[in-house]
Amino acid sequence: MSEAPSEFRVALIGNPNTGKTSLFNALTGMRQRVGNYSGVTVEKKIGRWALNRDQEVHLIDLPGTYSLSASSLDERIAVDVLAGRVDGHPAPDLIIVVVDVENLQRNLFLASQASELGVPMVIALNCWDVAEKKGLQIDCKLLEQRLGVPVVPTVATRSRGTEELARAVEHAIKTKAMMMRPIWPEAVKTAVQKLHDEFISKRGEALQVGELQRLIFDPNSSVRERLQTPQSEYEGIIKDARDQLYKDGFNPDAAESILRFRFLNPLLGDIIERQAALKKRSTTESIDQLLLHRFWGLVVFVGMMYVVFQSVYTWAGPFMDLIEGGTGALQNIASDALTGTPILQSLIADGIIGGVGAFVVFLPQILVLFLFISLLEESGYMARAAFLMDKLFHWCGLNGKSFVPLLSSYACAIPGILATRTISDRKARMITILIAPLMSCSARLPVYLLLIGAFVEPRYGSAVAGATLFAMHFVGAVLAAPIAWSLNQTLNQGQKPKPFLMELPPYRAPRFKTMAWRMYESGKEFIIRAGTVIFAMTVIIWALLYFPRSAEVETTVTNSYRAEVATQADNTSLDEEELSKRIDAAYLEQSYMGRFGKFVQPVFAPAGYDWKITVGVLASFPAREVIISTLGITYALGGEIDDESNDLRDTLTQAKWESGPRTGESVFNIPVALSIMVFFALCMQCGATLAVIAKELNWRWAIGSFFALTTVAWIAAVLTYQIGMLFA
Amino acid sequence: MQCSPMRLDQIKKDGTFRVTKVNCENESVARLMSMGLLPGQEVRLTHQAPLGDPIAVVFQGCHMSLRLKDAAEVEVEKI
Repeated sequence: MSEAPSEFRVALIGNPNTGKTSLFNALTGMRQRVGNYSGVTVEKKIGRWALNRDQEVHLIDLPGTYSLSASSLDERIAVDVLAGRVDGHPAPDLIIVVVDVENLQRNLFLASQASELGVPMVIALNCWDVAEKKGLQIDCKLLEQRLGVPVVPTVATRSRGTEELARAVEHAIKTKAMMMRPIWPEAVKTAVQKLHDEFISKRGEALQVGELQRLIFDPNSSVRERLQTPQSEYEGIIKDARDQLYKDGFNPDAAESILRFRFLNPLLGDIIERQAALKKRSTTESIDQLLLHRFWGLVVFVGMMYVVFQSVYTWAGPFMDLIEGGTGALQNIASDALTGTPILQSLIADGIIGGVGAFVVFLPQILVLFLFISLLEESGYMARAAFLMDKLFHWCGLNGKSFVPLLSSYACAIPGILATRTISDRKARMITILIAPLMSCSARLPVYLLLIGAFVEPRYGSAVAGATLFAMHFVGAVLAAPIAWSLNQTLNQGQKPKPFLMELPPYRAPRFKTMAWRMYESGKEFIIRAGTVIFAMTVIIWALLYFPRSAEVETTVTNSYRAEVATQADNTSLDEEELSKRIDAAYLEQSYMGRFGKFVQPVFAPAGYDWKITVGVLASFPAREVIISTLGITYALGGEIDDESNDLRDTLTQAKWESGPRTGESVFNIPVALSIMVFFALCMQCGATLAVIAKELNWRWAIGSFFALTTVAWIAAVLTYQIGMLFA
Repeated sequence: MQCSPMRLDQIKKDGTFRVTKVNCENESVARLMSMGLLPGQEVRLTHQAPLGDPIAVVFQGCHMSLRLKDAAEVEVEKI
């Protein structure tokens, strides 16, 4: 080859559930990257596909859409990319339309819309094997002739037909194969011509005929926003053209569908040969008789969700223990290796290894959840679950698809938030993300167990203790409903909510490869993207807890302890362990965080917290379970404390106010314990969740939800304490 | 001509219906139209969710779930 041809750009479009993403994966393999289109949260997937030995093309996977009518963000992106209107994305040299053989008409509607953009096209008839099994036969050669573009049968999940697809793409680019367009009635032609005169001839707008059609047929077309002509002017022009069309007997809102199907149906009539078997009720319908049954369907649904939820808890458990064990071992190794330099020892062992370990520990839960999510999605059950649950969620702006992410958030909000990607309505997805942290995740459990075990159970017995634990798991969900409702009222994403139309795709056997891929992708993203933020936060919190560190503190504590021991005649030996605990506690009190805790304590006083609890609350903002070990340190028990520790329970029950109006009284009583639990149930004390929200939405939302939930938690904690004190 | 006009949200599971009229100003309906739910199209109710809403219908071999509010914008007749 004399010179490398400039790289061809190929766009992949298709209806949802056509196996478009499988085809993208089959063509690009690992050579793909995922990002967002600038300014919007639409996922952008780009990969490299080797057409032949010397030629690679740039493959762009566009979001799955049924039409180009541009009412949703996904469709806008699709139209804009195909027309070459997105910065950094010149118009593609070719479009591959992925078509589900079983729904040929409907799928070719999208192809027909795309054909108006004047880009060469190849059609991939996907799921060929399923169609063959069902006795569906399609004459590809004839279809090719009629449509005027290459038609290639593929089975994306088995990478079949990719070679043929590559040849067809080479051929179509060379011959500039365009798909046959409908012959429009005079009325439509006149209307398009009118817009052509007004916008292109008169005003010099850079538009294609295909885009002019979108202006006429779609009342909310994104093409409008690209016009240079002022809104007051273009609205009149478009309205005139639409009115004219109406006068000529075509309703502009309906004309496109009617005319395109009128064009497509005769082309397809004799091409599809269905054997009698297809007329019978399909397997999918038989399965749905059970799974969508008004009673049994719910029973199966609840059973399945129980299995998913339990598995996230139990299957992940041993791996989480393993990671925790590994973290502990690493900490010991690091701390032994660095005994000479206490700062480094603390930074690396406690700060970095401990902090990052506390975050990596969520990985098993994420992988298990995504295993199930991809199983549910791949098999086609996810759409059924959403169908069953929709009414429950509909009133507060969510939809049925919010259920699985919210349930998963009971294990951990991070996989839950990542799972919201299955929600195609952006507003519903956003609300689901924002309320997910209110579901009581498993990291709150130690806090509940500690406080209930120390205060509720001894006084009221195990029945009340159990009920309290149960109630704590619901505080967040109860508050989440009105929050979701009001978010739904106030959030205006500059677009109407996407209509809830959901295809119930045929059931398919999930493929291991796809599931493994989903798990790998979700795990990788979690570790890389959120991990960097966590790392930074961990180091900052560590520093706030560690510095300043003057040797004086140690001497003072040692001396006062020596003096204390000396006064006790019977006890001659000095307890080294006790001494080091006291030193740790003193350092913590001296640290920036300790000082800050004392400074901030008045804010938490109405909730009944002393400065030590306040430090615990502040230190657990990166990860809420830190409260246990922090309380351990502040109440001078040393760092190695867990919720089972009787020491900690006893110490908490004995803790007294050291100063202020209530000196000598117990710090902890039932209202304080409840107040702390409520605070932890509602507060956004999880750096990893914040990082994930920032990634899925943006930093403004992450920071906003942090302050909002902290405020809600504070108010609820104060109310709990104050009301509790009335009864105490 | 045997029945008075019905709406898609009122149909029962027995029998097949034909679309007679659609309100294409409704966004959901416009979408259904681009999927092929046009006047003349045959449609059948397959399921109703446990709480009554949404419903699932099948047309042109495509199973679609939609809310009653949107289904009310489509008129059908029994065939």
